[in-house]
Amino acid sequence: MDNLKTYAEITWCKGCGNFGIFTALRNAIPKLEEKGIKREDIVMTAGIGCHAKIFDYLNLSGLYGLHGRNSSNSEGMKIANPDLKVITFSGDGNGLGEGLAHTIFAAKRNQEMTMILHNNSVYALTTGQFSPLAEKGWKGPSTPRGSFETPFNPLSLMLEVGATFIARAFAGEIKHLTEILVQAIQHEGFSFIEVLQPAVPYHSWSEYNEKIEFLENEPVTYEEAMKAAKNKHKFTLGVFYRAQKPVYHNGLYGVHNPLTKRLSRSERITKIKEILFG
Amino acid sequence: MVNDVFTFLVGGKAGEGVKKAGSVAAHIFSSMGQRVFQMDDYMSLIRGGHNFSIVSASTRWITSHYMKADLLVNFDKRSCETHINDVADGGIIIYNSDEQEDVVGVGIPFSSEAEKYPMKNLMYGVGAVAILAAAIGFKKEQMNQSIKNQYPRGIEDNIKFANSIYDMVKGGCQGKFLLSKGERERPIITGNEAISLGAIAGGLDTYFGYPMTPASSILHFLAKQAENFGLAVVHAESELAVINMAIGSAFTGARSMVGTSGGGFALMTEGISLAGITETPILCVLSMRPGPATGVPTYTEQADLSFALSAGHGDFLRIIASPGTMEEAYYLTAELLDLVWKFQTPGILLTEKHLSECSMTIDIDIDKAKWAKPKMHQGGNYKRYLDAEDGISPMLFPPSKEVIKWNSYEHDEFGVTTENAEMIAKMHDKRNKKLKALVEYLKSQYTVNIIRGEMTTNLFAYGSTYMSVLEALRYGELNPTIVQPIFLSPLPIWELEEFKNQDNIVIEQSSTGQFTALLNEKAGIKIRSTIKKYDGRPFDPIELSKKIKEVLK
Repeated sequence: MDNLKTYAEITWCKGCGNFGIFTALRNAIPKLEEKGIKREDIVMTAGIGCHAKIFDYLNLSGLYGLHGRNSSNSEGMKIANPDLKVITFSGDGNGLGEGLAHTIFAAKRNQEMTMILHNNSVYALTTGQFSPLAEKGWKGPSTPRGSFETPFNPLSLMLEVGATFIARAFAGEIKHLTEILVQAIQHEGFSFIEVLQPAVPYHSWSEYNEKIEFLENEPVTYEEAMKAAKNKHKFTLGVFYRAQKPVYHNGLYGVHNPLTKRLSRSERITKIKEILFG
Repeated sequence: MVNDVFTFLVGGKAGEGVKKAGSVAAHIFSSMGQRVFQMDDYMSLIRGGHNFSIVSASTRWITSHYMKADLLVNFDKRSCETHINDVADGGIIIYNSDEQEDVVGVGIPFSSEAEKYPMKNLMYGVGAVAILAAAIGFKKEQMNQSIKNQYPRGIEDNIKFANSIYDMVKGGCQGKFLLSKGERERPIITGNEAISLGAIAGGLDTYFGYPMTPASSILHFLAKQAENFGLAVVHAESELAVINMAIGSAFTGARSMVGTSGGGFALMTEGISLAGITETPILCVLSMRPGPATGVPTYTEQADLSFALSAGHGDFLRIIASPGTMEEAYYLTAELLDLVWKFQTPGILLTEKHLSECSMTIDIDIDKAKWAKPKMHQGGNYKRYLDAEDGISPMLFPPSKEVIKWNSYEHDEFGVTTENAEMIAKMHDKRNKKLKALVEYLKSQYTVNIIRGEMTTNLFAYGSTYMSVLEALRYGELNPTIVQPIFLSPLPIWELEEFKNQDNIVIEQSSTGQFTALLNEKAGIKIRSTIKKYDGRPFDPIELSKKIKEVLK
């Protein structure tokens, strides 16, 4: 099981954008190790969908959760043991459809975790229905006359609700994606990376390749970030925002670790007796 | 007075300190060495309406309030009219003489008297305490001390107000109810406090909740105690988040608990199912209130039993148990926490508003609580779902050099997704083996509480209904055998075998008789009759003893 791969048979379509994310993440881990992050401290969660298959392929510890609920699983991990580095993989249907509330709240709380949003703009595994990021007019089996809903803008949305590291990357730009992953996982706070990822039965690489461009300058202020997130077209890559803000677990219990600093049974019993018998 | 019980009732609008007056009364009784049972009846609103608190006290063990009260303090006309028939023989009604006349009782001008103080009607509760103090023969100094201890805000005004009320009521009821002293003072706790403390004693590290009556006070109590015990206590955005956060937290090895009522539990069921396949140890407190849907939020019922028994899609082991008393709530919560970690599966502590929110004096052995401990991996290559003989795979938590994979898909022993036919069946078999192991374990544990009586009839009850039954039998001087299954899933049929063909009566708070059906279907117990109550109110011992007598005829 070298190279962070398990023995699991990979069942993504040939040419799927998910391979790029898989490769970039496997490149990012050794770089993080060089920076002092221990591999065993990294835990992951995934929802359900094509994105989530990465859970079986990556030889890392974690929890393969329910559709849309994986960011809650991640929050629970971080709250219980804040020493862990938590990564959550999500598709756009998973994280912005079924799990939208959880994604928004994790960002609102500035939970120290990284959400990698595999944006293929389609419900791929369930045969091509429109998704929260599908463009207007998408014809899938549930919208035979074309979707008439306007897609979310995931970057301005995450900016608005409180994420403190926001970036967009592309599964075809592995070096750039790797670098962004390294920065996001190191970030102290909620980091969100939208990764453009062609699902080849539904979208071709050329649709992406011809439009991809990079942010010239990283925005400095929140206002600049919001402006860039709203005005730049949705194939613009780069870090849109980064800020330092208090993280959730410190607000909840200060400098503490409920798991590694748990009270012994006898300490608890003594305190309970104090409460009941004075 | 009803037998050897003194009952105090205080009623008024929300915000007037009704519940607080009840709990101060309970503390006064317990400080005299009496045992108490307090029940609060309140509406789902913030200000106004009609709330009341009943406290029954006795020198012997008491397990229910009595609706017939000896001293009734009503802050308003509505309360007085509501409780006019709740007076025991020889009882006294106190009414607000600023609002009504012609009541047989003692009038107190609560409104005009409280008008003199900035806190106005917020002081009514203190007035009720003053009336009680006079009625049980407290000297003013004793009363003032109690008020100082129990009402830390606005002490001066409170004492002034209490003294004037005391003087007004003196003629009508001073020393009317002199209570005897009991052997010692005991602590008073609510069921939800007992559950919270039991969880802490059992090893709780993280608690996740979303406010829902009658479970909210677990969240509040634990949030208040979080720092003291080093816990993480989180109010999340929904019950969906709650259960999934708890599962994530359990993945790291943290002993985790969640709490809710029926509607929130409905949302949690996909997570319960996730805990089933990922073999996550997770404890959920389900405190029942009348359903379906929003139902009657602040009242009591036992109609989520069937739902709990089958909560979550798919085949998996659910451990469900229900405490009959506050003490048992403490022990059982710790025990369930231990069981879910021993057997790596979801557990449900099933209770009701009646146990959750009533308070009573307790006799408890704090050291008796169990301590949750999983079977741990002993080194070597790790497989999360190792097919062990008893189905229980050893646990390991991050950080670890070994890879630990928990999976909501069907999986192989390592935790990687599978669609292989043989593996699917094998994993079902592995998980099902845990039921056998659990049953074997439970056979050596105290799973059914049986109190042998002299009559040939057996009364079956579970949860807090057990307490109502005990009190009804004491009142009615009846002694049938009482059978209270503490565990409901798996149902300890090995303990129930002997009752199968005897004369059996069930007492429960479900309109369709869910507990009756469970006993019949799972344990083959023939039930002659079921006494049901499903109006949201707990049983009153007098009313229940009459019903039991009718059925016993």
